[in-house]
Amino acid sequence: MPSAGVSVEFSGLTKRFGSLTAVDDLTFTVEPGRVTGFLGPNGAGKTTTMRMLLGLVRPTAGTATIDGRAYAELDDPLAVVGAALEATDVHPGRTGRDHLRTIAAAAGIPDARVDELLELTGIPAFARKRAGGYSTGMKQRLALAQSLLGDPRLLVLDEPANGLDPEGIRWLRGFLRHLSHDQGKTVLVSSHLLQEVEQTVDDVVIIANGTLVRQGPMAELGGEPGAVVRTSDPAALARALGEALGEVASEPQDDGSLLVHSTDLKAIGDAALAAGLPVWELRRREADLEALFFELTEGRNRNLGEAV
Amino acid sequence: MTALTRAVRSELLKFFTTRLWWGLAIGVFASAAVFALLFGILYTSQSFLEQSGGGPFGGQVVADDVQIANTVYTAGLGVGYLLMLVIGVIQIGAEYRHRTVTSTFLTQPHRPRVMLGKVLALVLIAAAYGALSLVGSVLVGSVTLRARGAEAFPSAEVVRTLALSLLVLGLWALIGLGAGILIRNQVAALLITVGVAWIVEPLAGLAISAWDFGQHHIAPYLPSAATQAVLNGAQASADDVRLSWWGGAIALAAWAAAFALAGTVRVVRQDIS
Repeated sequence: MPSAGVSVEFSGLTKRFGSLTAVDDLTFTVEPGRVTGFLGPNGAGKTTTMRMLLGLVRPTAGTATIDGRAYAELDDPLAVVGAALEATDVHPGRTGRDHLRTIAAAAGIPDARVDELLELTGIPAFARKRAGGYSTGMKQRLALAQSLLGDPRLLVLDEPANGLDPEGIRWLRGFLRHLSHDQGKTVLVSSHLLQEVEQTVDDVVIIANGTLVRQGPMAELGGEPGAVVRTSDPAALARALGEALGEVASEPQDDGSLLVHSTDLKAIGDAALAAGLPVWELRRREADLEALFFELTEGRNRNLGEAV
Repeated sequence: MTALTRAVRSELLKFFTTRLWWGLAIGVFASAAVFALLFGILYTSQSFLEQSGGGPFGGQVVADDVQIANTVYTAGLGVGYLLMLVIGVIQIGAEYRHRTVTSTFLTQPHRPRVMLGKVLALVLIAAAYGALSLVGSVLVGSVTLRARGAEAFPSAEVVRTLALSLLVLGLWALIGLGAGILIRNQVAALLITVGVAWIVEPLAGLAISAWDFGQHHIAPYLPSAATQAVLNGAQASADDVRLSWWGGAIALAAWAAAFALAGTVRVVRQDIS
């Protein structure tokens, strides 16, 4: 593939601002060909971590490398990394297109590539107006166009869905999956909302207060999916399920339903019928990621309440 | 294209893609023309030159033909170099203010090269504005001088002054660039630099001149005083201590280098967040 992804490695990355440790000994890897969600509440240190990766903020300790090299050592950075960060903006008196041209000029990229990306992100007409009047969604699209200028192998996007309308979020989701799955690029997307990226990301890295709290494939984050079944006699159904499905564990829940560690709804329904039990409810249970996310980061947000 | 050429191109694009440049172009041209006309009339009027205490600070104005021509042609530069100071501040200050500095350093992570690109771009911009200023002042000034019976081009030294005025503008832009980094808030940077260059420094120069050592060894080296030496216009008074034109050029260049270097050192170490 012409511009397959790179792997990104964070190793013992630490940043202190005075007495505040914004990022604390962070170690994780981001793989090519996948979309990695970089999650954590506001103030968890996501932006600082990304800025250290991009050579904008100097780490107190540790390293962040792109295929083994620091950002500042890259010969043609825009061809390797495309970034759209928060706290990045456009001069309000300059058009979006001219903004991209100033960057393209510095990177030796022709203006034709600028126009190509404005088409791709759907803002060719708006980009010829002064940026002072842009909506947040417009700026997000412009930032995305900017990040793609050099056809990079790694995309680093900080809260890219902020300010996008539902149609824009849908488009972004499809686009990021296309870049990673079809083109093999590495995509790192930060968000403070898990549900915002739930359907987009393959892997997750969750941080709270600058430390890593969970890392792994999205599918494994919430544990195994199961099924919820409600009947007149949960204990009898549990026995019937044990006989019909072999070693399938099921747990009675507080609300009188039965949680079955299987997603085979047909087999569960058949077993209930065979046992002569009514089925009042039968549905697949997805992991409650939002609750899990809250649990992982709960009470750890230093921006809330008293410092410990 | 080398990375440095690309950096310069990008900086020039940044400057010419907002509306600031043509507003300033009008300001530079108009101030050059208007001041050339006013000074052309003033410095060819006998009563002004002979009048005792006619100089701004009480002494008698001292000027030969060359100095009169120099004064007339560079009359607008008093405004011109303040505008270049402003341009220098804005070339970096706007990047902080509108948070485009992130994009700039992402595109070219080698920060000293970005700064060198800004320096070279400012020198080119200053040369262009300087040329514009000279077109205004020489057109209006030479016509005024001739009409008043004075010599429009008494010596080749006038041409030297005109060429040096371009250098002066470039050096003031670099002072602005450095100050725009050292004072991170753009609005504060603009107010402070213009205030210091226009009001504080000339007054400080006067105060220092009351002290004999200061008058000879400090005051002439201040940026505004050095600028006057380079341009070699009429002197405000006979006991005004002034460097030679090249001494003034070196002093001003040293100020520009000090500011630009201090700014570069600061930028290289800065966390951009």
